[in-house]
Amino acid sequence: MKNQYLILFMTLMLAFMNKNANAQEVQSTDEIQKLKQEIELLKNESDTYRPGKSKFLLRGYAHSGLQITDEEFSFVGGSFNPLFIYKQSDRLLFESEWALEQSGGEIELEIEYANMSYLLSKNLTFRAGKILVPFGIFVPNLHPAWINKIPTAPLGAGHDGIIPSNDIGLELRGGSYLGNIKVNYSIYVVNGSQLNDGEEEPEEAGILHHAIFPDNNKGKTFGSRFGFFPFSDSSLEFGLSGMYGKVGAKDTDKEDVTALHYAFDISYIKTLSSISSVLDIKAQYSAVNVDDANYPSHENPEELITFDNNSTTWFAQVSLRPALVENSFVRRLEFAGRYSTLKTPEGAEWETDQSQVDLGINYWIDWRTVFKVSYQISNSNIEEAGGHGGAEGNAFLIHWAIGF
Amino acid sequence: MKKIPIIIFLFTLLSLIAIISSCRSTSTIVEAKTGAQLWGENCLRCHNTPSPESFSDAEWDVAVMHMRVRANLTEPEAVKIADFLKTAN
Ligand code: HEC
Repeated sequence: MKNQYLILFMTLMLAFMNKNANAQEVQSTDEIQKLKQEIELLKNESDTYRPGKSKFLLRGYAHSGLQITDEEFSFVGGSFNPLFIYKQSDRLLFESEWALEQSGGEIELEIEYANMSYLLSKNLTFRAGKILVPFGIFVPNLHPAWINKIPTAPLGAGHDGIIPSNDIGLELRGGSYLGNIKVNYSIYVVNGSQLNDGEEEPEEAGILHHAIFPDNNKGKTFGSRFGFFPFSDSSLEFGLSGMYGKVGAKDTDKEDVTALHYAFDISYIKTLSSISSVLDIKAQYSAVNVDDANYPSHENPEELITFDNNSTTWFAQVSLRPALVENSFVRRLEFAGRYSTLKTPEGAEWETDQSQVDLGINYWIDWRTVFKVSYQISNSNIEEAGGHGGAEGNAFLIHWAIGF
Repeated sequence: MKKIPIIIFLFTLLSLIAIISSCRSTSTIVEAKTGAQLWGENCLRCHNTPSPESFSDAEWDVAVMHMRVRANLTEPEAVKIADFLKTAN
């Protein structure tokens, strides 16, 4: 009898446990069902955000600063440069950068570049539109305020400089390997610079103006840059640029005047573990030779003058950033120095022979945000030398720049 | 008359580009390099090395394509760098 009770008790217990287990099973299938539903929901939601082949970035940079000279103490700059990048497909890209700046109560808007690139092959790209002219390294690679290590552009490269900045045309560019030597190349055709014939502004006779549209003649300007990296770690690059074309206006006596621009550039960047720092050296020598022509004299427009219309400019920049040291404050510091010169034709109204030294200390908040403090020492051998962008004379500059 | 030297110059350049670009888009050295290494060597040539966390995968796709054109990177280099940035962000 006792055994019978025991069996009955155990059967009841088993039945109860089984029921519980069933309940658990039911509960876990319910949970799986719920999870499935949630996954489905998430999938649907992430599908909504999954980018298509065509993607878009809105970036750019902004900067402003303080300029202190003998004569002024003023906040300067305040420019905002939005950059639009559209990746239409794996081969097609459009880029456009604008420069927005306030000047005398008005907003100045300039399109720095607006062009499309089509990737023809693994190492060749076709570009069409308004481009930063691939002449040397400063304009295409280093001029944005968050990249430039000194608050101002080097002499000769500013907005009134002798180096071409942007232009409209067609370009083929790319990079490849000759054995283990990396090379890059660019060949382009653009409208080209325009010669000031001095008829309206005799003080500017013989100057080349860049980035003016439409073209003043039918002749197009051809140019190219060739760069190569002798070391396999890409630390050193040598570049050679040339640009040649007609600059005189059609149907004038300057119609056949041509200009040859050429430049050599060098770039060296190396992490020196011995001093826990990154060393960065950049230099560019540029020259412009314009055919001789006769221009009206400033004093007496009836009289014609001529001069050897050759200009040269160069800069060399060295910076050192102790990026590998322990101390996080020191790691963000950078010491930069730059020497630049500009020499324009003897005998021209705009003759100048200037040089400038800039010494600066930068503080990097992150890889694209910087505070720059620098001192500029200017030397001019010609008293009436015109301004070529930035402050004239000696100046103390504090700037900040942010890249997005 | 000045047109002739230009045409010769252009022709030489175009042929040079054609020869070079049909050559190689990579070298044995690049093939052996990782995306991280290529990023470390190439992305500080003009500006500070961008940190991978700055952008999402989709944004890196656009930025790297932009830099491929700007810095004349070859396709294998750009692909390796993009892959690295997208795994390290
Ligand atoms: C040849 C010089 C050069 C090299 C090399 C270079 N960059 Fe840039 N980069 C620039 C310039 C110039 C800009 C600013 C574009 C502008 O404002 O016109 C820029 C901008 C950027 C930006 C901001 C968004 C954009 O697309 O403009 C990112 C991100 C960037 N670079 C990432 C990289 C990465 C990643 C590499 C390595 C593959 C790299 N860069 C290598 C010149 C360079």
